[in-house]
Amino acid sequence: MSKAASVNGLHHILAVSRLRAATRWQSLRVSSLRRQWNLPINHAHALQTDAAEVNDVPLRKQLKDRAKRKRQFERIAVEDGTSSNGRQKEKDARLDKWKLTVGLEIHAQLNTERKLFSTAKSSENDEPNTNVSIFDLAFPGSQPEFQKATLIPALRAALGLSCNIHRESRFDRKHYYYQDQPAGYQITQYYKPFAVDGHVTLYDHDGIAAEDGQPVNIAIKQVQMEQDTAKSTLQPPSTTFLDFNRVGHPLIEIITHPQIHNVQTASACVRKIQAILQAVNAVTTGMELGGLRADVNVSVSHKGSDKLGQRTEIKNLSSFRAVEDSIAAERDRQIAVLEAGGSIAGETRGWTLGSTETKKLRGKEGEVDYRYMPDPDIPPLFIGEDLVNHIEKSLPVLPDNTLADLTTNSGLTTKDAKTLISLDDGERLDYFDEVRSLWSSTRSSSLSPSPAFDKIVGNWVLHEMGGLLSAAATPFSPKLVPPETMADILANLHDDRITGTTAKQLLAMVFNGDKRVINTIIKAENLELQHLSRDEYLAMAQTLIDKNAEKVQQIQQKRQMGKLMWFVGQMMRRGEGKVEANKAEATLKELLGLD
Amino acid sequence: MFAKPSWSVKSLFKSDESSASTPAITQKQLHHLLRLSALPPPTSEAQNAKIIKDLQSQLKFVQVIQQVDAEGVEPLQSIRDETKEAEKENEITVKSLQGEFDKEEVVGKRGRIRRRNEVPAAARDERMKDWDPLAQAPKKLGRFFVVDTARD
Repeated sequence: MSKAASVNGLHHILAVSRLRAATRWQSLRVSSLRRQWNLPINHAHALQTDAAEVNDVPLRKQLKDRAKRKRQFERIAVEDGTSSNGRQKEKDARLDKWKLTVGLEIHAQLNTERKLFSTAKSSENDEPNTNVSIFDLAFPGSQPEFQKATLIPALRAALGLSCNIHRESRFDRKHYYYQDQPAGYQITQYYKPFAVDGHVTLYDHDGIAAEDGQPVNIAIKQVQMEQDTAKSTLQPPSTTFLDFNRVGHPLIEIITHPQIHNVQTASACVRKIQAILQAVNAVTTGMELGGLRADVNVSVSHKGSDKLGQRTEIKNLSSFRAVEDSIAAERDRQIAVLEAGGSIAGETRGWTLGSTETKKLRGKEGEVDYRYMPDPDIPPLFIGEDLVNHIEKSLPVLPDNTLADLTTNSGLTTKDAKTLISLDDGERLDYFDEVRSLWSSTRSSSLSPSPAFDKIVGNWVLHEMGGLLSAAATPFSPKLVPPETMADILANLHDDRITGTTAKQLLAMVFNGDKRVINTIIKAENLELQHLSRDEYLAMAQTLIDKNAEKVQQIQQKRQMGKLMWFVGQMMRRGEGKVEANKAEATLKELLGLD
Repeated sequence: MFAKPSWSVKSLFKSDESSASTPAITQKQLHHLLRLSALPPPTSEAQNAKIIKDLQSQLKFVQVIQQVDAEGVEPLQSIRDETKEAEKENEITVKSLQGEFDKEEVVGKRGRIRRRNEVPAAARDERMKDWDPLAQAPKKLGRFFVVDTARD
């Protein structure tokens, strides 16, 4: 009888006896939890109590008191020498001597129909524990079945990050015990990942630190495929609820080389990588919704030194703000330790929102031994060259190229272009493209760039539509105002058939359900711009001039040009939408004898 | 001729002149190994000594194996067909993924790719459609598995 079997037998006996003693207690806890969960929540009562407390002190007084207290504290702090302003200056002085180095490890959930090694469906908001196969629960004897469809978004991500694809790559087991991983190991690609040697380029508009200059090129060491874990909900003190829908879902891990030297550049890099992954349809959700998270490696070294300091790892950051704050806090902590003569231990640390310092999670790296081994149940992955070429050729346009196109050929500001790219999963941008192309085709048959017109389209698609959408609290849809209708409105506006005010009115009417063709509405509601004759302009202008002699004097003698626009405004007000600003201005200038 | 065996596997466990003495396994190492495998620590000194003794002899066995000349031989990962033909067959190409590409469409004028919102995929394999994952749960609450993490 082998020794291993008897030790296992012993373990089994110990486990069972412990279970028996705990079972009664466990069932009591579970039933009390069940009762807790089923209690109706008495909303009305709770609200009343809160309101009573608040109403005792009027809000205005509360705010005043708070501001007063803050000023008092700040005064004391300045006297003590602990004011945040003073501390900030100290910190900046320290940073002159130290150099920060950061490396990123980004985990992103791939956009797939099924999991990585089982045919279970990937879940979004499904009932817990419905999309689970026996392999996901690590039933003895269950085998992994590689789902090759998962390669498609993985390759799109790797190629979007300019990586080289390995023809042959392998899967390995990373062993550790945790309740969200039934198998006792995670299947990952430790020894031979499928993609290596990529890069991401960051520009000023990506939000990098000013000190970095531009562009900043961050090299990517590798991209590997691996499994996700289950979702656990902790119920203190020691109960966990597990939903295995997510276990086995494909992730990619993107590992950068430690080439980031500024806090803002680090979060800019995460944001850029997310934007690229979203553009190539490799992921479904971003960081805010849990689809992407980052681990960062932070170290400091003396400025001018080539050697990197000892690094620590901060795990599980789930927002861009957390990335920035945790890196800054860890950098400051490490500098403080080193300047006091201590040394940095290679540990894993954690960060919670609102903290001021990272917290130690685990001991030194050596204490965690993952016992990596090639997974004997999974054959090597062979990726065909034709597949790589096909995906490369059909890769969607990357964010930088779209941005360049929108700013150069469509005359949009960088800010507007970035907004347009990021809104509504790309639907707003598609809408913009459709409207501008429809309008362009009615003007001429050539497809040459037309920045002036595109800028108008951008303004209406972003700001006018945006205003209506937020007022109605509706999500965007290209069906609300069909592209042809929008193009019609803009064409009429540009051709002087309607005024700006009328155009906005028309947009609102269509937005609220008017299905008529624009030209029909204009005729039916008599919205056509009636041009006033020159005589009418002269008459109106003269009347105003006669009534406001003082202002006329200020314009003619003191050259206060602002007052001229006041006259224009007055004319437009009296004109009931029929006065055009430029004509009014020209008439006034003529009458006042200005250039 | 086969009446008297000339060799026994037991010889691999005996301490030989040929094998250099293996460093002793420390208590700390043993506990580290047991923790990594989620095995409970030994309950008696006798049991402790037995485990260490067994481990040492197993290490001697491994040493003998390590003396085999495996120069230029790729480590075996699994028993499978490693011929070039098998490689070609298992290679993932555009053809093998055509079904998946057909589920996608390109929208807009910038090559944006999207999966068509047609029939949603079946929750899991047809073979297992009547299986309830929670059926085997020792403890559950509603649709969740319940685990007590107090026991490390």
